[in-house]
Amino acid sequence: MNAETKDVVTGGVDVGTSSIKVCVFRVDPTGEGTLLSKVVERIRRRDPRQVAEHCFELALEEAKLGKGDVEYVASTGEGHVVEFRRGHFYGMTTHARGAAYLCPGATGALDIGALHARAIRMDGRAKVLGYAMTSQCASGSGQFIENIARYLGVTVNEVGPLSLTATAPEKVSGICAVLAETDVINMVSRGISTANILKGIHQSMADRLAKLLRSAKIGGTVVLTGGLSADVGLTRAVEQAIASDKRAVGLRVVTHPDAIFAGAMGAALWGAARHRKLQARGLLPALDPSEVTT
Amino acid sequence: MRSAAEIAAVCEEIVLDVGLSCVLRHRAESGKKAIGFLPIYAPREVVEAAGMLSVGVLGGGDQIEIIRGDAYFQSYICQLPRSVIEMGLSGKLDALDGMLFPAICDVIRNLSGMWQLLFPNKYVRYIDVPHNHDWEVGGKFYVHDLRELGRGLAGVSGVTPSDDRLREAIALHNENRRLLRALYDLRARAPHLVPTAEAYVVVRAGYQLPVEEHSAIVREYLEAARVSGRAPLDQSRVVLVGSFCEQPPLGLLKTLERAGCYIVDDDLVLGARFLRGDVDETGDPWEALARAYIAHGSHTSSRYVAGEQKGEYLIDLCKKRKAEGVVFCAPSFCDPALLEQPMLQTALEAANVQHTSFRYSENTAQFQAIHEQAGTFSDSIRLWSEDQ
Repeated sequence: MNAETKDVVTGGVDVGTSSIKVCVFRVDPTGEGTLLSKVVERIRRRDPRQVAEHCFELALEEAKLGKGDVEYVASTGEGHVVEFRRGHFYGMTTHARGAAYLCPGATGALDIGALHARAIRMDGRAKVLGYAMTSQCASGSGQFIENIARYLGVTVNEVGPLSLTATAPEKVSGICAVLAETDVINMVSRGISTANILKGIHQSMADRLAKLLRSAKIGGTVVLTGGLSADVGLTRAVEQAIASDKRAVGLRVVTHPDAIFAGAMGAALWGAARHRKLQARGLLPALDPSEVTT
Repeated sequence: MRSAAEIAAVCEEIVLDVGLSCVLRHRAESGKKAIGFLPIYAPREVVEAAGMLSVGVLGGGDQIEIIRGDAYFQSYICQLPRSVIEMGLSGKLDALDGMLFPAICDVIRNLSGMWQLLFPNKYVRYIDVPHNHDWEVGGKFYVHDLRELGRGLAGVSGVTPSDDRLREAIALHNENRRLLRALYDLRARAPHLVPTAEAYVVVRAGYQLPVEEHSAIVREYLEAARVSGRAPLDQSRVVLVGSFCEQPPLGLLKTLERAGCYIVDDDLVLGARFLRGDVDETGDPWEALARAYIAHGSHTSSRYVAGEQKGEYLIDLCKKRKAEGVVFCAPSFCDPALLEQPMLQTALEAANVQHTSFRYSENTAQFQAIHEQAGTFSDSIRLWSEDQ
């Protein structure tokens, strides 16, 4: 079997603000990838370098592979902490590819992370064609949800299911996290239920995300990715915001259980594409430090 | 033996020291005076032949707050002259006994006049480099200008820049130029061994050091970088263009590399490498300097080259350095860089070389937007360059 018809094993490491996601893939010569393992860990107060390395080791163990079996490790996000990377891809590039893997035919990705959200428009090859990004403050982000959960005395994992039980959601400020937090404190003192407060927050965030999708001019199927794609309360609120938005004709948002891994998946899959490109050009030896002549 | 990172850290300390401690130390140790020069190119050999230290002044970067400097310029003028005025008025350039203002743009030319008014006791000279490269016209004019400069500098130091002294300075700078060329060649061949943020401070530190001392540092860095064992990454190879005068903050250069770009050539601190070949060390040294400027001067937007096809040099540079794209990284309001940019971009498009552009000022502190732009540019080169 010659090199160009051989499967390639690649790894993707997505270093986010609050957690690190790792995926290992086997990719065939047509670019079709098979997910071998996936690992996510919160960074908490640890050194992200060590967390990245630890997550990668766990992913290799799950895939029953050794480090030497992985031909290309690609980072995304804060990739400079991944000291064992071979290449790095920008977050939008990887989330687009990850979204296309999770939902073939998708025309966009809505990456909602700990610090910001990005609406990404792409073509059928997962090539990024345009994007819009939140530019104000943290009110549309995962970090904000985490803060609110702490004030309300619930865990982050409880936020989504609780939000789904709301009966009379209370709207909060959609512009500023500080104002929204003040709103929440007022609601608590007014006796508003935790579920209704959380749903109100989700609706406020969903309205902003719907606007983001409009400004990125995305139509068709959009995959929710990033850490907050696991928040069922938020994903439901986004679906409802899109459904009630008369200007969002033909737009559909979808979720996937593995959507938080979209960045890591995209990194691994693009890593395979890059590996093949370098191989085809005969440039792979140049990436081996011992081969570099100076 | 110090590591490459350790040498670069020492150089970075020198570069970020706007109080010119190195120059003060040198003055105290050698008893020599010092002459500053602004970008891009000044014939440092003449200053040194006159028994003084030549000091490159590139502004205070993100290390100073500009308060008085803003009062001297309109809002549509770049940051560098404000920064230099601020440094002058706040005493940070007191170590210098004079200043040279090379021909680069109207702002720097006018700054020379302002300097004469602000610092009447200091030596100030505007260096009008030749724009006509016919030897009988521009060449002879420049020789005359250089000799005039030499006489003026002798008046400051009391040392006449004799032919022998000038030849000696030329030889020292030739050696320095050879080392800097070696540094750039090594980075182009193995960019993982020479991060641009390091190469930049190593080159720029030479603006505050005696040339022999700087050559020793560059030599040491080259040796250390070669054995640094740094692992290569799969990054795009780009040429950085437009930063020949006001310098970008160090954070910007680090951002570009973190975003996935290996910078394989640039025009940062261009004055240090302005002459691309050696200056003849025999014969009349004044003529040798003038001939070198005409024959080996860098192609940059503030230097007129008759018959030059705009962009041709840049395309050749991309080929030579195996660059996959060009990043136009120019200071806001830099007339020479920004006026030429559209012509260069047109030439690159005709040659099918990808490019992107953004602006900065020396005290830019937010790099998120640049990170995004450089990151997507690098991805676009690596993933889509052959099938667009």
